[in-house]
Amino acid sequence: MALTFDIVLSGLVLGGMYALIAMGLTLQYGIARIMNLSYGESLIASAFAAMFLYTGMAVNPVLGLLVIVPLSFAANWLLYQVVLMPLVKRAKNQGMLEVDSILGTFGVLFVIQGVMLVAFGGSLQSYSYLSVPVHILTTTLAANRILALLFALVIGGGIYLILTRTRFGTALRAVAVNPVAAQLSGIDIRAASALAFAGGGAIAAAGGVLISMFLTFSAASGVVFTMKALIVVIMGGVGNMLGALVAGLLLGVSETAVARLVDPGLTIAVTYALFLSVLLWRPTGLFGRPAR
Amino acid sequence: MIEVGNVSAFYGKHQALADVSLTVARGEVVVILGANGAGKTTLLKVIGGLVPSAPGATIAMAGTNIAGMAPHRIVEAGVALVPEGRGIFGELNVRENLLLGAYPARARANEAANLAMVLGLFPRLNERMKQTVRTMSGGEQQMVAIGRALMSAPDILLLDEPSLGLSPIMCKELFQILARIRGSGLGILLVEQNAKQSLKIADRGYLIESGRIVGSGTGAALQQDPAVQRAYLGAGA
Repeated sequence: MALTFDIVLSGLVLGGMYALIAMGLTLQYGIARIMNLSYGESLIASAFAAMFLYTGMAVNPVLGLLVIVPLSFAANWLLYQVVLMPLVKRAKNQGMLEVDSILGTFGVLFVIQGVMLVAFGGSLQSYSYLSVPVHILTTTLAANRILALLFALVIGGGIYLILTRTRFGTALRAVAVNPVAAQLSGIDIRAASALAFAGGGAIAAAGGVLISMFLTFSAASGVVFTMKALIVVIMGGVGNMLGALVAGLLLGVSETAVARLVDPGLTIAVTYALFLSVLLWRPTGLFGRPAR
Repeated sequence: MIEVGNVSAFYGKHQALADVSLTVARGEVVVILGANGAGKTTLLKVIGGLVPSAPGATIAMAGTNIAGMAPHRIVEAGVALVPEGRGIFGELNVRENLLLGAYPARARANEAANLAMVLGLFPRLNERMKQTVRTMSGGEQQMVAIGRALMSAPDILLLDEPSLGLSPIMCKELFQILARIRGSGLGILLVEQNAKQSLKIADRGYLIESGRIVGSGTGAALQQDPAVQRAYLGAGA
């Protein structure tokens, strides 16, 4: 019983992170129509930035969020305007933009990764912030994990409310649903796409900072997060926020369960087993609309 | 008042429109009749900014040339297009669709009054505010589409085959509503297959063939025109 509770709790923390970063990828892919392969790299870059701020300048990661997230928003907006806009302009249809953006961001992945390798080396990194145990009923959890989960909830919930309750957020969703009708409603879809891409990058940055508080990471671990975010997005149903939340939590709990009960080396196998079985059962994801 | 002058458009080498000129004043319904592929839809798309016009075209909206502007800026200039296939947000609900209609800056000041006007025209939408639009019937979706366009507070409304796929009763209701919209001072440019119904409410009409305007006249005159009767009203066939 105690073990089950322990697994569920740790799993929820990890799953909450997955759901948050999947939300960022959804913004970039669903609204800006950019399949960003360098997504995980920008997440890891923020993890390094948080570590640098904390160990080098004694700025704690929570304050670090206030610096890193806006910077990341700006950097991603620039990335969209400079690198991706030419692809958007020449794309004749959505499929072409997807292929071009995959190739383009694949290049960006290596640029970011290379810079990180030069700056921080290739070894695994971690730092210790608030790693004091907190007792919750029958188990203990590090304070930094609880803090990370709380922030993920606040950030994810805030973005959800903006997207569903404000005219601006509704306009962003409108671009995802029907870009032509969005233009006819007076929405500047290029500006909206740039903002959605930058917003997605900012969420990745927040995820990176939060994850760095309790996981070890290296310059090469970005691809893991891109992959997990992609799996969560597809498993939940592309563009579906609730689906991403459920899929993220499911993945977090099952990975933790297998790591504790069987072998930590099997987590990726479990990820894919879960992914495949969901897709066999529901090809468009848990909450996806059946394809016609 | 919108004045379209010398509009040509090409799809690759194929010329879809050749030197089309027409005007629509406020408080006027103007219908464009033509066979499939004559260029009716292309003309509306050019005015709405979805398809580029060839150099030399002028589309003057209250004196400003809107030819070549991005679609979202054309909406701000006072032209609202309801495209074929309706151009609504199927995954969003009615309230969100109408909210997005009022996205342009020009629409914000009178948003509440416009919403009341739209719900007055389409009382059924009032009961369906939270319904996801793609689950609604074709007629109801058309109401959402026209309501969405009216929420942008346009001076000129462009409608591409609004009666397509509607039942005869819905169709009749739709044309009555268009007449009421004209009554509020908007200009309506209508592309229609349903020549009989649309000529009944039209003040004026243009005939388009292979991308060229080949005739024009008042609604009443076109109804009496033997060529129009033969081609569009099913007489003498």
